[in-house]
Amino acid sequence: MALNDLVKNALEIGKAMGVTLKYLTQTPVTVEYPNEPVSLYPRFRGRHELRRYENGMERCIGCMLCEAACPTGAIYVDAAENDPANPTSPGERYAKVYEINLLRCVFCGDCEEACPTEAIVLGHEFAMANYDRHDFILNKQTLLNPGMPNVVIRPD
Amino acid sequence: MSDELVTLTIDDKEVQVAPGTLIVDAAAAVNVEIPIFCSHPKLDPVACCRMCLVEVEGPRGPMLQTACSVPVREGMVVHTDTEQVQATQEANLAFILLNHPLDCPICDKGGECPLQDQTMRFGPGISQLVEPKRHKQKDYHISDTIVLDQERCIICWRCIRYLEEWEDKPQLALFKRGGATLIDIQPGQPVDAKTGGNIIDICPVGALTSKVARFGFRPWQVERTPSIDPHFSTGDNIRIDTRTYAIRRIVGRENMGVNDQWIADKTRFAWAWVNSDERLTTPLVRKDGELQPATWSEALQAVTDGLKRVKERQGADAVGGIGSAKLSNEANYLLQRFMRQIVGTNNVDHRDGGDVAALSTGIPSLAAVMQPQYGPPPQYDVIMLVGVDPSEEAPILDLHIKRAVRRSGTTLVIAHPRHIELTRYPGSYLGYRPGSEATLLNGLARMALAVKGEENQTVSQLTDDATDERLLNLCGVDPEAVEGAARLLVEAKNPLILYGPMAAQGATGEQVRNGLTNLAMVLDCYENLGYLGLNANSQGCRDVGVLPDALPGHAPLDDEAARTLLAELWGGELPTAPGKTYRQMLDAAGDDIGALLVMGADPAGERPEWAANLAQLDFLAVQELFLTDTARLADVVLPAVSWAEGDGTFTNCERRIQRAPKAVSNPASKAAQDWMILDHIAAHMGMQWPYASAQGVLEEITTAIPAYAGLDWTALGDQGVQWNAETVRPRPAYRRCRQDDLPAAGEGELALVTGTVAYDGGTLFRLTQAMRDMIHAAAVTLNPDDAAQAGVKDNDAVLVRSAHGELRLRAAVSEEIEPGTAWIPESLPGAPVGALLNGREQEFVTITPQ
Repeated sequence: MALNDLVKNALEIGKAMGVTLKYLTQTPVTVEYPNEPVSLYPRFRGRHELRRYENGMERCIGCMLCEAACPTGAIYVDAAENDPANPTSPGERYAKVYEINLLRCVFCGDCEEACPTEAIVLGHEFAMANYDRHDFILNKQTLLNPGMPNVVIRPD
Repeated sequence: MSDELVTLTIDDKEVQVAPGTLIVDAAAAVNVEIPIFCSHPKLDPVACCRMCLVEVEGPRGPMLQTACSVPVREGMVVHTDTEQVQATQEANLAFILLNHPLDCPICDKGGECPLQDQTMRFGPGISQLVEPKRHKQKDYHISDTIVLDQERCIICWRCIRYLEEWEDKPQLALFKRGGATLIDIQPGQPVDAKTGGNIIDICPVGALTSKVARFGFRPWQVERTPSIDPHFSTGDNIRIDTRTYAIRRIVGRENMGVNDQWIADKTRFAWAWVNSDERLTTPLVRKDGELQPATWSEALQAVTDGLKRVKERQGADAVGGIGSAKLSNEANYLLQRFMRQIVGTNNVDHRDGGDVAALSTGIPSLAAVMQPQYGPPPQYDVIMLVGVDPSEEAPILDLHIKRAVRRSGTTLVIAHPRHIELTRYPGSYLGYRPGSEATLLNGLARMALAVKGEENQTVSQLTDDATDERLLNLCGVDPEAVEGAARLLVEAKNPLILYGPMAAQGATGEQVRNGLTNLAMVLDCYENLGYLGLNANSQGCRDVGVLPDALPGHAPLDDEAARTLLAELWGGELPTAPGKTYRQMLDAAGDDIGALLVMGADPAGERPEWAANLAQLDFLAVQELFLTDTARLADVVLPAVSWAEGDGTFTNCERRIQRAPKAVSNPASKAAQDWMILDHIAAHMGMQWPYASAQGVLEEITTAIPAYAGLDWTALGDQGVQWNAETVRPRPAYRRCRQDDLPAAGEGELALVTGTVAYDGGTLFRLTQAMRDMIHAAAVTLNPDDAAQAGVKDNDAVLVRSAHGELRLRAAVSEEIEPGTAWIPESLPGAPVGALLNGREQEFVTITPQ
């Protein structure tokens, strides 16, 4: 009986040690954030960005459809007429004001869906803590110059 | 046409409608929707878009017919949802969309676009188009305020028809053929109709958009407030669309008693002043000779101290109040209550107030001049205009008159010192010399009597001064033309006579009103005599008693019933002595008048000599939107809000009281509503008034003015209510109408003609960026002969000199100016014509080239 138990326990210990040995040689899963980057799924939805065309023109035409699609009323757009000599975006219309209130945003991505020019997209930046409430309002300046321009345009 | 109803069947629903109704309207009566683009309920049918094709059963089987142009017949059977109809609708939409760009995201119409809606409802759901679309001109300015996008146009003719049928200015047309067809103006001739902006409202796509409101809104975002026009006395109904504390656009609103659904361009486009940065946002008090920002309590205390000081030193009659016909009934009512009850003087008036011999009843009715697309014809077959230019002073009345002339054969008799725009229609034109109205009217009355072949001792005696010779020499009018006009008037079944403030102001104003009354009585149309004020609340300002010689409700100062009513309502005694008029107060400012409370008026900008007088005042308080010339002279400036930022009621020229509710607000501004400011000044003066809101003030007005009884905020509704003219109309009586000879023009002298233009240099207009180039130039317009005599050419710099002052202007030359006259409108940018005036009937000027 006792011998039986002894063998059994030894086997169990051996098994457990086997697991330890097995993982001893593998690289760890833990990410040393913020010293190391976090890998994200391609469809992760983080902080918004406004995109430009290759020639530097803004994609946003100020159509305000993102504002209409936004379920939380986090977006405010005010459009204006392009100066034909020095246009901001192709066509006659551009966004004079584009603001997103991150405190309201639920990162649903409906604005992306609504955008006819793929101008507004959700990027991969997720670290959005701030010391001041006013800093949670993204204006056109911050949206056009994201810290981490690393965006996957989702096909549909 | 018989009045019996026609019975027909639409989609198995039986419907009874009046004969002559179009199928599309009959279908709407039973809630059957037939898609339309070119059809419009206020324009003639053309049936060019083919969208409304429906099946009508006939002897040869069902046939496709256009529902927008075919009138109903007895026993007609209509189908709107058969396979054939659906196939046609789908094909039609596919055809319309063939070249229509899909730039809906940046199109101002997107969201309220009939083409979008009907494509969703009736369209095929798929597109078979793979070929590229045709490209035409986008962002094409057909006027300073209207932008055309030829690609979006679906050739429905609505704008073309509006300009033709209503404005009678066919300035848009179709060019080229087939798929290349495009809409365009004549080369180099932009759309300049005064109500041209209406084509934006009726465009079924985004082909016509407003330069002013462009891209400022999406239809689903804006808050819509029904309101009324702040510029013109017709009180056109509008809708103010606002978003984030700013007006984004103004569009027309239907009121079949006032403006059909049309509004003037000035109303539609000139609202930038409401959101302007130049607005006053905080009270200003003069300290150490400078106007400095102050708190409300400081400012109110300063007003109280100033008014009390002058009242104690010089008496109550040294204090005066100037109201404004641009402000609401409530503000004006409280101003006169303040002056009469708290200060104790009748020195309360407004511009064109006590100085003008107006009629308490305004004009009979706008609906009676209108010719709607479907509705009764106008009641008048001859319209006489004396010193009124509707094209400049009331564009919607102008629209109605033009329509009446063209559709109902109304004839115009125009007496005006200038060849106004309406003189292009057949009728009679009497170009009299300014100041000679009374004699001209006597001449008309005399000749009307002669044409009628009647004997009337009284009239003959009253009008015996208007001899042919005097008509020719004094009025400068051919007696035969006067006789022709008199004949037109006598032969008319129901003539309408309208006059404006220009004809009846100053010392002879009373005589002119008498002359008009006599003429109307000779023509048996006393009740058709009307006075057309120029501002949004010209009528209301008089109704609520901002007059030196009348209490609220047009009651004379010695009317016991009115005095008792007001004494009970207000408590205390009312002053009895008549006060000074607007001009008298300003002429006496700094002399007999020691203090003025000016609300929404700018006399200093009107005449330089008044500015000098105002500077002499012991105390001047101004309630204003902007730092005007008058406000700059003030001791205290109180910031007020505009018509869009507070509740108020306005009474239009046909006595219709209409609401203008609060539509927008500026949270950063400390400005307050005019009635509220007056209420607070009263409180500082030790009088607690019982008002909690503008509606509360209106409530009191309905008690104080018998004609307004029961017309409180709720009762007025969105279309307003007209008060009954019979309650205040004076009994008809022939009155004396006499006029002294006027001095003849000397060598090289021209008679000065002045008046109002729609596009002037006033603050309410000049702040609209897009319309800057439309402002009437600072110019004096001369007849070519006079210009040649004075040696000036078009656009020369000239010096205009009168006995009272001089002005530096540009010269303009036009055939529309009568020989011997010089036309300088009021409030031109930087050139107040008041510098040349001294309140006389006639002023002569000399023109010297610079």
